[in-house]
Amino acid sequence: MERKKSRWSFLSNGYLVLVLLFIYLPIFYVVLFSFNESKSLTNFTGFSLRWYENMFNDETMLQSIYTTVLTAVIATVVSTVVGTVAAIGLSKAKPLVRNLILEVNNLPVMNPDIVTAIGLMLLFISTKVQLSLTTLILAHISFCIPYVILTVMPKLRQLDDNVAEAALDLGATPVQALVKVILPQIYPAIFSGALIAFSMSFDDFVISFFTAGVGINNISMYVYSMKRYNPSVNALSTLIVVVVTLILIAANVIPRIKDKKTKKEED
Amino acid sequence: MKSFFRMTYPYILWIAVFIVAPMVMILLYALTRTGNSTLTFQFTLENFARFFSDATFMRVLLTSLRIALLTTVFCLLIGYPAAFFISRLSERRQTMMVLLLTLPMWINMLLKTYAWRGILLNFDLASEFKVFIGMVYDFLPYMIIQIHTSIAKMDGNLLTAAYDLGANKWKTFLKVILPLSVPGIISGITLVFLPAVSSFVIPKLLGGGDYVLIGNLIEIYFLTAGDWNFGSAISLIMALIIIASMWLTRKLDRNAQEE
Amino acid sequence: MKKLLSVLLVLCLLAPAAVLADDVLNVYNWGEYIDKQVLTNFQKEYGVKVNYSLFSSNEEMYTKLLSNASYDVIIPSDYMIERLIKENKLQPLDKGIVTDLDSLVDGVKNLPYDPDNTYSVPYLWQSVGILYDSTKIDPAVVEEKGWDIFLDSEYSGHAYMYDSERDAFMVAFKALGYSANTENADEIEAAYNWLREMDKAIHPSYVTDEVIDAMINGEKWLALVYSGDAAYIISENEDMAYCAPKQGTNVAVDAMVIPANASNPELANKFIAYILQPENSAMISEEVGYASPNADVLAELSGPGGAYEGNSAYVPRTGYEKDELFHDNETLKKQLSELWIKVKLHE
Repeated sequence: MERKKSRWSFLSNGYLVLVLLFIYLPIFYVVLFSFNESKSLTNFTGFSLRWYENMFNDETMLQSIYTTVLTAVIATVVSTVVGTVAAIGLSKAKPLVRNLILEVNNLPVMNPDIVTAIGLMLLFISTKVQLSLTTLILAHISFCIPYVILTVMPKLRQLDDNVAEAALDLGATPVQALVKVILPQIYPAIFSGALIAFSMSFDDFVISFFTAGVGINNISMYVYSMKRYNPSVNALSTLIVVVVTLILIAANVIPRIKDKKTKKEED
Repeated sequence: MKSFFRMTYPYILWIAVFIVAPMVMILLYALTRTGNSTLTFQFTLENFARFFSDATFMRVLLTSLRIALLTTVFCLLIGYPAAFFISRLSERRQTMMVLLLTLPMWINMLLKTYAWRGILLNFDLASEFKVFIGMVYDFLPYMIIQIHTSIAKMDGNLLTAAYDLGANKWKTFLKVILPLSVPGIISGITLVFLPAVSSFVIPKLLGGGDYVLIGNLIEIYFLTAGDWNFGSAISLIMALIIIASMWLTRKLDRNAQEE
Repeated sequence: MKKLLSVLLVLCLLAPAAVLADDVLNVYNWGEYIDKQVLTNFQKEYGVKVNYSLFSSNEEMYTKLLSNASYDVIIPSDYMIERLIKENKLQPLDKGIVTDLDSLVDGVKNLPYDPDNTYSVPYLWQSVGILYDSTKIDPAVVEEKGWDIFLDSEYSGHAYMYDSERDAFMVAFKALGYSANTENADEIEAAYNWLREMDKAIHPSYVTDEVIDAMINGEKWLALVYSGDAAYIISENEDMAYCAPKQGTNVAVDAMVIPANASNPELANKFIAYILQPENSAMISEEVGYASPNADVLAELSGPGGAYEGNSAYVPRTGYEKDELFHDNETLKKQLSELWIKVKLHE
């Protein structure tokens, strides 16, 4: 049995390592070539930081990073708030109404990016609304909200209605019942929803492409518009990899530290 | 509790403006005659007829479906074992693995696709194969995580019960684990097939000008040819195909769950 | 939580306001089509901020314009300018500010799309031609065959075709002796068949700007390119050479215009006048590879000691009666777009 087990774990771990290598291949490539001395995308000629220098001197690139982050933050905040509120309202609605609204809500999720993008562009153009940063943010909010609702609804369904009812019976106002009873219970789902919304907005290209205004570029749009591929993009990608890694580590370590603290307090 | 429903009103207004109205616009453009930026209210079905009667467009549709299918099958073949192996690891290691898988999902798809373009420059491969690699790469993590979630949710007692009843590992897998992971498989397939069919960035960057999928067609008709009516018709057709498939998979899922 | 939200929202609303504080100029141009130093210098000299956006095709730019986006200076191609003028989307230049039109080369001013240069002033210009590896293909063969070299199956697998329906059809029209602006159904059909033959004969890779780096690396022997890109490629790879075929080609001008709804027309005119100054035009042309419209700059850069001395692609051909400008023709464009998709899909 021992041999079988170790052979099994050798094979299964080996498989996982291969999968991980595949998934990280472009990331290693990008990080490696961000330090490449020459412009080449195929030959690594020497170590240099010139692309990082280039990146920090490129105003349009820095502006695009700012736009991307700003849009993602605003879209996440607004869509999480609106989405959570809407989900709570929906959970108390009659099934017919609820299902109808949920079906419509799902349209941006099911629809191909490009169809949603074009729909929004047509909307803005025919209402003579000038494309701008605002239209970009509005577009992002509108495709983020459905994801928040989709994440929060299942958790809401699992809630025990009686707890909220009890709170109301005991004299709480609806607002208090909402804030003190319902919200804390669904907090993890809200957090997940917000994370998903942020990553959808950060990553978006197609919808931004069709709805952004004068001089507004997010990272994806900027990279797409480059005529000759500029290796500074590798530097940008590496920067993003580093930031994302740090955030994910923090997101996992902080709760654990909190847990340890509460455990200590309990002891 | 009725008062809670009032919370939905602002969102209903939002939906009307930002979800329903755009779809109505696409519908209007699809059903009218060419007028580019001005909607001429001459209703016609010619845009749809034009799409279905042209062998080229049918071929594009088939290519899109074909590559989406291939991508989905491969993501399933590679992803299922991965998800299963991960579920056999210790709790700590599982979290690590899920984290490692999620990290690349946070990096812009465009940046990752450009990276692949750089890597693939070193090899002389057919466009379709390059696009295939790009797509599998982009969608694999989603498939793995969906399947893993449903396997991880499984009640360990079921497995113990199966062993107690004398089933060996293979049988347990086939009769217990596999069926229970079906919801995960279905959502994985949904998360891969549908975006793959409508993808336009990956084919454009990795496939070269002669690799045209439906998403690329829409882009061409809207931006290059300026034929918004036809472009809208194609968009609508694609949206309908996808909504129909989603509805189908949800029905299958419900049936599977009932069993 | 609510307080944090409102503070955040206010901060975000203030951010764009902060940008508006300085005088701002919104410029919309092709990607990699300027020397960033010129922008920096302009901003410093006039104490303003330039919001610089990129587009990769005239059509994309036109679509953005439709949404009432307010740019101050745009740099479209000739046929697009023709369309914008027709649709009253441009405003006349202030000839009091934009004065120096005499220094422009004859081939680029007073062209049919804007006969008196009322609305536009050339920025850079170019021709479309054949880029080839002179160590692999004999220049005499290229000169002799002109566009028909793209039908020669000897080069199968060794060619790039630029993914632009207008340019590809132009090649076919010229090879067959027709006008690049023809609306004749038979001629269009013939051109379509010529292109299908081309696709079957040489199996090209359909690319856009990837062709630049690829040809610098000598990946293939033959490509359809714009002269500016060719000039840049040749300056980085001496084996490459350029030919504007004897059957005639498209000569194009990209020019600066001011949209009718520009928010800062005065500054826009100043920007245009600034770009026209020889030093700035020279910087841009040298950086990008496309020809400057300024006669002196052109002579200097292509002459002894110039950056593009001896570069066969830098100065576009002028005065050749078979060369043509594109005219704006939407119906034709739609038709050609669809036919081009079929060509690429090897129909």
